[in-house]
Amino acid sequence: MEKSLKACAAKKTILIVDDEFGILEVLESILSDAGFKVISAINGQDALTRLRETMPDLVIVDFMMPLLDGAGVIKAMRADEKFSAVPVIVASALPEKAISERCVGYQAFVRKPFKTERLMAEITRLLDRTSSSSALS
Amino acid sequence: MNSKDPHQLTRVPSGIKGLDDILQGGFFGGGLYIIEGPPGVGKTILGNQICFNQAAAGSNVLYVTLIAETVGRMLLNIKSLTFFNEGEIGDGIVYVSGFNALKEKGLNGLLHLLRKEVASRKATTLIVDGFASASDHAQSHEELKLFVQQLQTQADAADCTVFLLTNPSEHAPSSEETMVDGIINLKTTIHEWRSARELCVRKFRGSSYLQGVHSYDISENGFTVYPRLETLVSPNTDVNGELQRVSSGNSRLDEMLGGGFPARSATMLIGPSGTGKTTIGLQFLSLSTANEPGLLLGFYETPTRIHLKAKAICPSMIEQLDAGHVQILWQAPTDQFLDELADRMLRDIKRRKVKRLLIDGLGGFKKALRARPIEPFFSALVHELRSQGVTTICTAEVMEIVGPTITVPLQGLSDVTDNHIVLRFVESGANLYRIISVLKVRDSAFDSDLRQLSFSVRGIELAESSASAKSILPRLSPKSEPTVTQE
Repeated sequence: MEKSLKACAAKKTILIVDDEFGILEVLESILSDAGFKVISAINGQDALTRLRETMPDLVIVDFMMPLLDGAGVIKAMRADEKFSAVPVIVASALPEKAISERCVGYQAFVRKPFKTERLMAEITRLLDRTSSSSALS
Repeated sequence: MNSKDPHQLTRVPSGIKGLDDILQGGFFGGGLYIIEGPPGVGKTILGNQICFNQAAAGSNVLYVTLIAETVGRMLLNIKSLTFFNEGEIGDGIVYVSGFNALKEKGLNGLLHLLRKEVASRKATTLIVDGFASASDHAQSHEELKLFVQQLQTQADAADCTVFLLTNPSEHAPSSEETMVDGIINLKTTIHEWRSARELCVRKFRGSSYLQGVHSYDISENGFTVYPRLETLVSPNTDVNGELQRVSSGNSRLDEMLGGGFPARSATMLIGPSGTGKTTIGLQFLSLSTANEPGLLLGFYETPTRIHLKAKAICPSMIEQLDAGHVQILWQAPTDQFLDELADRMLRDIKRRKVKRLLIDGLGGFKKALRARPIEPFFSALVHELRSQGVTTICTAEVMEIVGPTITVPLQGLSDVTDNHIVLRFVESGANLYRIISVLKVRDSAFDSDLRQLSFSVRGIELAESSASAKSILPRLSPKSEPTVTQE
């Protein structure tokens, strides 16, 4: 797992979006430690600004945020051809069934408080899948 | 596939006797807890004991010190404790100093160190000893709050339970106290020249807990916590069906009681020293058997003296002692604390399924009370004894040597106990006589006539009727029943 994570992390960029600064910083540290390049945004609007500046390989977005929530970020991404294929992980303290109707277009869900192991497993799965798709095409 | 839901709170027992009872099962995995108290209350011992218990259960543990004391010095101090296992150090338990990271790089540096070390060692328990140093490094409350939030997030993410050992904050509540999942306060108080160790759970998220102050002890076995007896009441004390009787060991006293003590009842045997309270208790215990074992909890008379007394006035008790059907739990009245005492007694009662109990005497409990009221404690004790099927006699000494008025030495207990028997001296002419009377038997008819009581080689002897008592009480009130007042 650790080996495949390292391989997967090489040169990959992850955008993390969370309105809780403490969580944002810890997540940034954990992902940086794992070898990812990390950019962060403190709310949905901030995330859209970051997306205009960079092209992430994966986005981890909190569901409940001020100004623009996770569902809004995903909607904006899917409406833009440039980001339509970027995999998104939604994070929430609510169970997935509580958000699935309001949030469309995400590839994975992690429940808060998140567990590193589970988060890394989802990141690896999604990035591996993206790599495979790119290789095939 | 692991079926465990990571978002269900899972208990992580501390493995410390009594503490897990207070927490109703232990801490929660991934939680952040403060263990606070001034120097000398045993925080480091508690932290280490949790570590060794966790390591013994197969967990990886990280112990980070932020204090000036070296790890070597700390280990030297805990080496003699029974939970210490050198084999776990370096393997199950790793000790590192975070002092330099904190000094050089502040809270961020410490957070980084903790995250790296927890991840690399796959630690599921983290102790941060000397957390006050981290608080001191914070430039503002906001910085400290953010640090605690990040530490909590890290702990959650790594499924690591974190304990911060610290001094109590000068500003209550401190910013970290509002954010953590639980706070355990330890302190030492002084009562009548003796110190008492007290534990109080001030906050515990995720479940109920036994509130209030509990006592604890630090011995060669480390921490032992004694939950306040009042908080540990067993259910199921109702007895259905016909009232069972338990013989006192004296047929005439049984008659006076309406057929013996009601089973599972608590009897107060009240009287001045020398009237025969302990002897009546010994006769009661002498009927103990293998199926109905007895226990004597004594505060004043040592086991040797009890043996001698039994030999002289209740020989059948010796047989029961020799056979192990009766055991003596002796406790000097000034040595222990109430819940510790009750714990010792109740453990023996449960282990041996004791059915006959003599508490000799109530004053021993009073000495252990300090500022605590007796009624809730004794009420809980009686309730617990009843639920264990124990019939109890408790002796209570009064100051009045002779006379019609008796002052019960402990307030509020008359309602708690089921039966009251009063013993007293009466002077008549140049003689001193002993008189016994039954004042109360709960839910039962009884003979309230006074009887003369005397000692023989067979123990106590009660007069067949009240005639002799009447003859030695001619100048007292017509019924000459003692007036009982409460202290």
